[in-house]
Amino acid sequence: MKAIERTTWFLVILMGVFGVMVAHAQITLDITKGIEGGGVPIAIAPFSGGAPENIAGIIASDLQRTGKFAPQPAGSRADYSVAGQANSGGSRGYVVQFQLSGAQGGQLLNLSFDAPANQLRAVAHRISDLIYEKLTGDKGLAGTRIAYVAGGGGTWYLVVADADGQNPQTILRSSQPIMSPAWSPDGSRLAYVSFEGRHPQIVVQDVSSGARRTVSAAPGINGAPSWSPDGRRLAFTLSKDGNPEIYALNLGSTTPVRLTSGGAIDTEPVWLPDGSIVFTSDRGGSPQLYRMAPGGGAAQRLTFEGDYNARPAVSPDGRTIAMVHRRGGRFHIAVLDLQNHQFRVLTAGGLDESPSFAPNGKMIIYSNGQRLTAVSLDGSVKQDFALRGNGRDPVWAPFAR
Amino acid sequence: MNHWIRPLIVAAALALLAGCAATGESTTEEQQTTQDATAQPGITAQPGQEAYSYGYGQAPVGAYETYDAAGGTATGATAGAGGRPGQAVAVGAVPADRIVYFSFDSAEVLPESRTIIEANARRLMKSSRTVTQLEGHTDERGSREYNIALGERRANAVRQAMIAMGVTPQQIRVVSYGEERPAATGQDEQSYALNRRVEIVY
Repeated sequence: MKAIERTTWFLVILMGVFGVMVAHAQITLDITKGIEGGGVPIAIAPFSGGAPENIAGIIASDLQRTGKFAPQPAGSRADYSVAGQANSGGSRGYVVQFQLSGAQGGQLLNLSFDAPANQLRAVAHRISDLIYEKLTGDKGLAGTRIAYVAGGGGTWYLVVADADGQNPQTILRSSQPIMSPAWSPDGSRLAYVSFEGRHPQIVVQDVSSGARRTVSAAPGINGAPSWSPDGRRLAFTLSKDGNPEIYALNLGSTTPVRLTSGGAIDTEPVWLPDGSIVFTSDRGGSPQLYRMAPGGGAAQRLTFEGDYNARPAVSPDGRTIAMVHRRGGRFHIAVLDLQNHQFRVLTAGGLDESPSFAPNGKMIIYSNGQRLTAVSLDGSVKQDFALRGNGRDPVWAPFAR
Repeated sequence: MNHWIRPLIVAAALALLAGCAATGESTTEEQQTTQDATAQPGITAQPGQEAYSYGYGQAPVGAYETYDAAGGTATGATAGAGGRPGQAVAVGAVPADRIVYFSFDSAEVLPESRTIIEANARRLMKSSRTVTQLEGHTDERGSREYNIALGERRANAVRQAMIAMGVTPQQIRVVSYGEERPAATGQDEQSYALNRRVEIVY
């Protein structure tokens, strides 16, 4: 037994070393699955010129993923058409120009951009969003980002990627678990839980500089951070007083204020735009969602369907709450409309968890613990992210400001 | 319960060897290209066209720093649990006589766990300078943060039992890993049962 133990240890250590060596290589994710249903036909011609990115391909993929459009080859009969070119030149390396036209040939958009080669992909996403906004009136998601946690079993990664899963960047690597990333409202920082040092703490990290600060490392649980709408406060869970309670911390201060009390589990706080807080509590015997005033105090129960509703996420307009809902022993993503109290189960998974709204409120990204999926709020559009590694705890970033 | 736990643990130790060998292969993708963080961000509209300025000049495309968290050294408690779903069970170096198992959705200490808790309580009472960390775990089902709370509830149940047996509270630390450090990575009842546990770590 001793010998086996020693061999095991050796392998564990070897694994650790190898893990560090390949840590950068980890994850890329691609959207694989198409969209169910139709969409408005839009013909997209290959961009002329010699750009090192397939700009037309990226635009087609972006528009297809919205579920609202059905990209077609150039020359197809379509309601709209896109044509463009990307030539070397301009002050930054490339000049990208495109036109969006209606079926009668009327020009709807005609724009050009100067961009370096390494931002041609970002330009393509920007064009996709301009087309989407022009034709639907809603803000597009192609230029947004997501964050998620990958790895496990020895090395954990916090990753930021484009909304199509491309361009993944590891912003934190750790030999201990990472959990529950949350974007600041301006998209510049991530709060998350890190078990570095074998103890959970809440860390705020500036995404572009990498600068990080531990904002809570109390005895017991330090979990479930959530930003206030103004970005000045964090709500989170601490169990330093014996059982999990919700606290709010003014980021200019070091003393969190306790908002809940009692012997039950109170956790997973999220802020509504009006400053009130929705959270999970088992005070009624099973985990359910409750809502309390900004300063805490009496809470109103929000969910009554089934015996397990947890991990709330709030839509940008504050009208809809997404959650993890158990039904027949299986876990799904469900949504509750706070105005008409309509409750709908959105996903058919079984291990679905960690919902997060896209900044335009049209899509929800979630995980089954291994993979990421995005589903439209009406359930009609669904996209799987194919990962080379795994992914969980996804959070959609706000629109860049 | 759990006549099958002990042989499973032995099988698990063996599976760990296999698990380790298998883990190494998965990550040989190409290196991420580190983009030029000094490149001027921003894409501006050309004069003469529809005026438009883009906020994503502020988006640090490719400029992320990788920060290597200076994590504590792993004790190996669950170090082998990195397999894919459906892979064999893998348990690390915590011996079976330091693991307390729980029923689904429950933090109740089962009668058959008393022997293990008592033996560890005696060890702590014998040496007042010994400190143990009780690490609470859950299976993977349900919300991750709620599972952190459930894992802590389990660890606290073992703590209370030890204190009732005479252990000084100061000798016991509690941490919950929820579902983040599974002992078994299968998505089946057997794996879930192995994951609903408190590990008594010295």
